[in-house]
Amino acid sequence: MQTLDIISVNIWHIVISLANLVLLFLIIKRFLYKPVKKVLAQRQAEIDKNYENARQAEQGALNEKLRWEEKMSTAKKTADDMIANAASTAQLRGDRIISDAKTKAEGIVRRAEEAAKLEIKNAHAEIKKELVEVSSELAEKLIKRELSREDHQGFIDSFIDGLGDGDE
Amino acid sequence: MLEIAVGIILGCCALGAGAAMIAGIGPGIGEGNAVAKACEAIGRQPECKGSVTSTMLMGCAIAETTGLYALVIAILLIFVAPNLFVNILLKTIGK
Amino acid sequence: MSFKKFDKFIDFILLTLAIAPIVFIIILQVLTKPESTGITVEGARIYFTIPMPIQPLPITEAQVNSLAVLITIFSLCLYLTRNMSVKKPTKRQHLAEWIVEKCDGLVKNNMDPYFKNFGPFIASILGLSAFSSLLSLFGLFPPTSDINIVGGWAILVFILITYYKFKCGPIHYAKSFCDPPLLTPLNIISEIATPISMAFRHYGNILSGSVISVLLATGLAGLSNLLLGWLPGFLGDFPFLRIGIPAVLSIYFDVFSGALQAFIFAMLTMMYVSGGFPAEDFVARRSRLSKANKK
Repeated sequence: MQTLDIISVNIWHIVISLANLVLLFLIIKRFLYKPVKKVLAQRQAEIDKNYENARQAEQGALNEKLRWEEKMSTAKKTADDMIANAASTAQLRGDRIISDAKTKAEGIVRRAEEAAKLEIKNAHAEIKKELVEVSSELAEKLIKRELSREDHQGFIDSFIDGLGDGDE
Repeated sequence: MLEIAVGIILGCCALGAGAAMIAGIGPGIGEGNAVAKACEAIGRQPECKGSVTSTMLMGCAIAETTGLYALVIAILLIFVAPNLFVNILLKTIGK
Repeated sequence: MSFKKFDKFIDFILLTLAIAPIVFIIILQVLTKPESTGITVEGARIYFTIPMPIQPLPITEAQVNSLAVLITIFSLCLYLTRNMSVKKPTKRQHLAEWIVEKCDGLVKNNMDPYFKNFGPFIASILGLSAFSSLLSLFGLFPPTSDINIVGGWAILVFILITYYKFKCGPIHYAKSFCDPPLLTPLNIISEIATPISMAFRHYGNILSGSVISVLLATGLAGLSNLLLGWLPGFLGDFPFLRIGIPAVLSIYFDVFSGALQAFIFAMLTMMYVSGGFPAEDFVARRSRLSKANKK
C-alpha cells in the first residue's frame, strides 16, 4: 500500500481539515453549548427566583414585624391613655366625692350651728322670759317693798338693758 | 561512480540531519532557564502555582518551536531528501 | 416504564456511535496495514485517490481518522447533553457543564471581553486536537502528525486573526504593519510565520513522539534479540523487552504531549486572535461612529 511522504502538502487535505474544524465548531456550539447554556440559564433563573422569593418573604416578615411593632406601640399608648383616663376619672370622682362630702359636712356643721344658735336663742328667749317673770316677780316684790317711782323705772330699765346686752 | 555519488548524498543527508539537531541545544537551555525561574517564582509565591505553571508551559512550548523546526528539517533530510536528491541525480545523469 | 427502557436504548446507541468509529479504524488498520520491516517512518497510508482539479485528493488514514474523531465527538456531545435537568444533574451532565465552564473560563482569562462567544471554537480546537493526538494510544495514525490537518487549523486561525484585525478598517490594518516603518517587511514575515509556526509546532511535537516511539520499539526489538536470542524457537524471536517499556514513554509522548499541544494550540489561538484585535481603537471608533449617527 502506498504512503504519503512524511511531509507532503495537499491543498484538498488542508481545505478538508479546515472544514472539519468549522463543522466541529458548529456541532459543539449547537449540541454541547446550547443545551448546557440553556440548563445553566434555567438554573440561574431558578436561583434568582428563589432569591427573589426569599427576599420577598423577608420583606413581608419585616413589614409584619413593623406593623406589629406599631400596633404594640399604639396598644401601649392606648393602655397608657386608658390608665391616665381612668386615673383622671378616679381623681375627678374622688374629688367630687370629697367635695360633696365637704359640702355635706359643711351643711351639717352649719345646720348644727344654726340649730345650736336657735337653741341658744330659744334658751336666751326662755331665760329672758324667765328673767322677765323673775324680774316682774322681783318688781312685784320690790313694789311691795315700796320704792319710789323713779327708782323703780330706772331699775327696770337698767335691768332690761343689761339683759339686752346679754342677748347680743 | 554512481554508487559513490549516491553514498555521498546519503551520508551528507545524515550529516545534515545530525547537524540540524544541534539546534536542540538552544531550546534546551532556554526551557531550562524558564523552568528554573518558574521554580523560583513558585518558591517565592506558592499561591501562584497554577498560573505560573501554565504560563511556563506556554513559554516552553513557544521556545520549543525552533527545536521543532530543526527536528522537521532533520526528518526531511533523513526520510524525504535522499529519494528526492537521488532522483535529481539520476535525472541529471540521464538514466 | 417502556419509555425508560427506550431511553437507555438511545444512550446505548449513542455510546456505541461514539466507540464504533474508533473500533472501525482499528479494524481497518489491522486489515490493511502491511507487515513493517525495520525502521519505517512514513506519512499516512493512502486508501484510494480521487481525481480533483488542482491536485488529486488521496483519501488517507489521516482523513479517515479525523472523520472518526469528528463522529466520536459528535456522539459524545449528544450523549453528554441527553436528559439534562435543572434540579438533579447526572454525572454526565456535570461533565458537560464542567467542559463548558472550563472553556468559557479559559476564554475569559485569556481574551478580551469582546470575544466572550469564543468558547465553542476553543472547545472544538481542544477536543479535536486532543482526541486526534490520543488516537496514537491505540496504535493508530494520529491525524495531527499530518501537516495538512494542523495546517488547515492554523490557516483557519490565521483567517480569524486577519478578520478581527480588519474590524477597524483596511487603513488601520495596513498601519499595524508599519509600526516602526523600517520593520515593515519583518512584520509581514512574522504575520505569515504565525500560522506556519503554529502548524509546525503541533505537527512536530506529535511527529517527534511517534518517531521516537518507532525508534525505541525497533531498538528494543534489536536489544531483545541480542539478549534473549539464545532462547529456543519462537521465544527467541519474540521481542520481550518491547512489553511494558514503551508504555512509559507513551504516557509522555502520547498522553501528556498530545494534551499539552492541544492546550497550547488553543492558548496560542486565543492569544493571537485577542492580541491582534485592536480593542481600544475599535471601541473608540465605534463610539465615534455612534456619535456621528446621532448627529
